[in-house]
Amino acid sequence: MASTFEVQNISFSYEAIPAIRGLTLHIAEGDRIALLGANGSGKSTLLRILDALYFPSAGTVTFKGDALTEKHLQQDEFFLNFRRRVALVFQNPDVQLFNPTVFDEVAYGPLQLQWSKEEVIRRVDEMLHVMSISHLRDRPPYRLSLGEKKRVALASVLVLDPEVLLLDEPTATLDPKSQSQVVDFIQQWKGTARTVITATHQLEIVEDIADRVFVLEAGTVIAEGTPSEILSDTGLLLRANLIHVHRHSHGGVVHSHPHFHGQPRHEHEH
Amino acid sequence: MSRHSFLERTLRGFTRAVSKALQSEHAASQPGLLQQLDPRVRVIGILALVIAVILCRRLEAIAAILLIAITIAVASRVSIASLAVRVWLVVLGFSGVIALPALFITPGEPLFTLPALHLSISVQGVRTAVLLVLRVETAATLTTVLVLSTAWTHILKALRSLHLPAEIVTMLAMTHRYVFLLIETANQMFESRQSRAVGVLSGSEQRKMAARTAGVLLSKSIELSQEVYLAMLSRGFRGEVRVLTDFRFKPRDYAGLTVFLFTGCLVVWMGR
Amino acid sequence: MEEANPVEIDEIMHIPDGYLSPSTCATFYLFAATGWYAALKRIKRLLATRAIPLISVFAAFSFVVMMFNVPLPGGTTGHAVGVGIAAIVLGPWGSILAISIALAIQALFFGDGGITTLGANCFNMAIVGSFTAYVVYRMIAAHSNLESRRRVLAAAVAGYVAINASAFVTAVELGIQPVLFHDASGTPLYAPYPLHVAIPAMMIGHLTFAGLAEAAISAGMVSYLQRADLGLLRGVSGLAQAPGTIVADASLGDSPGRLSPRRLWWAVALLMLFTPLGILAAGTAWGEWSSADLMNPHTREQIGAASGNHAPPSSVPVGIEKLSTVWTAPFPGYAPRFIKSPAFGYLLSAMFGVGFMVLASLVARVAGGKWPRRNLHP
Repeated sequence: MASTFEVQNISFSYEAIPAIRGLTLHIAEGDRIALLGANGSGKSTLLRILDALYFPSAGTVTFKGDALTEKHLQQDEFFLNFRRRVALVFQNPDVQLFNPTVFDEVAYGPLQLQWSKEEVIRRVDEMLHVMSISHLRDRPPYRLSLGEKKRVALASVLVLDPEVLLLDEPTATLDPKSQSQVVDFIQQWKGTARTVITATHQLEIVEDIADRVFVLEAGTVIAEGTPSEILSDTGLLLRANLIHVHRHSHGGVVHSHPHFHGQPRHEHEH
Repeated sequence: MSRHSFLERTLRGFTRAVSKALQSEHAASQPGLLQQLDPRVRVIGILALVIAVILCRRLEAIAAILLIAITIAVASRVSIASLAVRVWLVVLGFSGVIALPALFITPGEPLFTLPALHLSISVQGVRTAVLLVLRVETAATLTTVLVLSTAWTHILKALRSLHLPAEIVTMLAMTHRYVFLLIETANQMFESRQSRAVGVLSGSEQRKMAARTAGVLLSKSIELSQEVYLAMLSRGFRGEVRVLTDFRFKPRDYAGLTVFLFTGCLVVWMGR
Repeated sequence: MEEANPVEIDEIMHIPDGYLSPSTCATFYLFAATGWYAALKRIKRLLATRAIPLISVFAAFSFVVMMFNVPLPGGTTGHAVGVGIAAIVLGPWGSILAISIALAIQALFFGDGGITTLGANCFNMAIVGSFTAYVVYRMIAAHSNLESRRRVLAAAVAGYVAINASAFVTAVELGIQPVLFHDASGTPLYAPYPLHVAIPAMMIGHLTFAGLAEAAISAGMVSYLQRADLGLLRGVSGLAQAPGTIVADASLGDSPGRLSPRRLWWAVALLMLFTPLGILAAGTAWGEWSSADLMNPHTREQIGAASGNHAPPSSVPVGIEKLSTVWTAPFPGYAPRFIKSPAFGYLLSAMFGVGFMVLASLVARVAGGKWPRRNLHP
């Protein structure tokens, strides 16, 4: 299978604080990946490096054979090409909705990539229809609910028809219904040439959205495997701060054992 | 005045700002006179009338423009009551008070003398006070009618097609968009402090709190701007700003523009 | 109106439509536009593509801070403009843009300040305010450590002086209105108070309330940032750096190789500044007659002819008595007629204004370049 991302031993720091340390991974075309880690594990930073927004101070990152360096991204042709093919959906939608109306927001990407005016209008209206947000066309972003914002953010990157979708905590803070809608979407959005990489700490969605899981902790990959392999490794999950142990009650009895909130009902003996 | 703590008064200021914003969005969708015209015509037309207001030298001319402004307001479904409250009373309270001493201290022919105080009001004093207040009222009415009848995004796009630099327009748009986010953030900070406050804080403690809240807000703002920057880069931003404007002039727009400019020139000529 | 009293004093800084004559508005729009153009160019060089989101969000922040009711000693409240902290964090150019944008939105959207007077308001608060705050801050903070108390004091003084400088320029703009713009009977057409009323009226309110509010916010914020976010006190060159990336921008700072064009700018600035003054010193320009000229029937006729056949007022307007001490000497007989035309007068003012701005920016560059370069600790 053709390779999409080759990340070799990269390191990255914010000012003096290291965020990524000696990280290596390989992602093939068509992969559905979950980057699993607690807050601060470096998964957001990694997504940004994959989207060529940050450049590592050590190591290399290549996308389909092309090196992602600052110099390379300064070349117009490569820049336009890359920005269209790889899309990142940020964790905080407010950050991504910086245009005056929903229509302007979805049109932003196409406009920057210099599509013709007619093409832009046509594709944007199409996208709004597909995402069922046509009624929000002229709405300013501060008058949208959280769920609506996330849909607009998604629409604004999907309109470019990218090959790679990077999602940063897409289901965090969403109500269960919206959460399941997002999960459905990720499951549908596939195809042999399309890659999805989702960063999340929510164990309950991992099985649905990924075929392969990388577990991150303190800026490096500590484990790799299939969802069932990873989710059954309690020691690993504890170490990565993805589950916790504390006293709780169910079944009328108080006890403590490793678990995470949102875990489907479990039965065990007392 | 200081019965209400600065927190409450600031919070009230915030709610006022947000409700003003929501109100203007409502009127923009009404089927009125101004709403029929291309936003560029609205902007140029109202601007022409405001310039006419400050070019006129005669009271009657300015009053005429005020009448025109009110007519436009009514025809554009802008409520007179809201105009009165938002504009007329506020201007009267502010510029009216400022103009008051001018009645007495402007040199000229005395019109009326207050018996006990030996202060006389001059003809010139009355004229200047009325001129000032009338000018401010009329200009404010015109701008309010424009803002209430036109979506903010359309005003910006109109300015863009009138050749205001793209960066400036983008910055105006982005600032407007994030003002409400920051108001919400500041609101939350203030509300949480308010619920935690035990008793009344001293003046200097309140000052410290104001500064500290501003400081937190600043840090969050800078952080926000850096994230927004990354989001812009991610979608292909390279420094050039491209805005989609699809305004098209219809026959009625040419008519409207002509009427505005003609009226402005006529009034100025007659009121010189 | 419970809020009328303290708010009023600060809001007068936002001059509404109708207080300034059309020619004043146009002149100050010209000044402001020069400032905006220069600021945009400079900030794009310093910050490249990050300028747009940074300035926008800062403008939004400044807008929100302008709504804070800052409690002051004596039980009243005041409003800060935020020009102090803007100049410290963004530098003078970024501050000009951010404050101007906030003012534009206030005027267009909230009716605080007029549309025709936006140029003047931006000149007063965004331009004069930013440069004053920046220069004063740099002068006082000078070599001191980023975390020292001296910086807090510098911020307080910078904010205070900046607001009062803005207030002073505003007062002058308002104060010359009745002198220069009145009808045949002497009725002032725009702002009705001459300089000797406008200046004290404005300054008293700002030397006390508004100035203190700005000082409190500026100082308080610098103090907070020293503990919570030291990086923001490094100024605009610190902001230009993205985490993990290095912006290769050779224009950050004053490199000695660029001395030649800079000398030229100094020369241009001084020339533009002093040429009008020189011409005016050579003769009495329109609008600046001495009281004696107005009382002499012969010169009155001449003045009337030059003023579009409006007779000058029968009694000398109070403001002129003050102004006539500034300009001296009557025109030599051979001076060309066009010198007496209003258009020429405004051209001179425009040159003066642009010269002032170029000079101010050069001073700011020197102030900013000379002192902190050596001691911005990483």
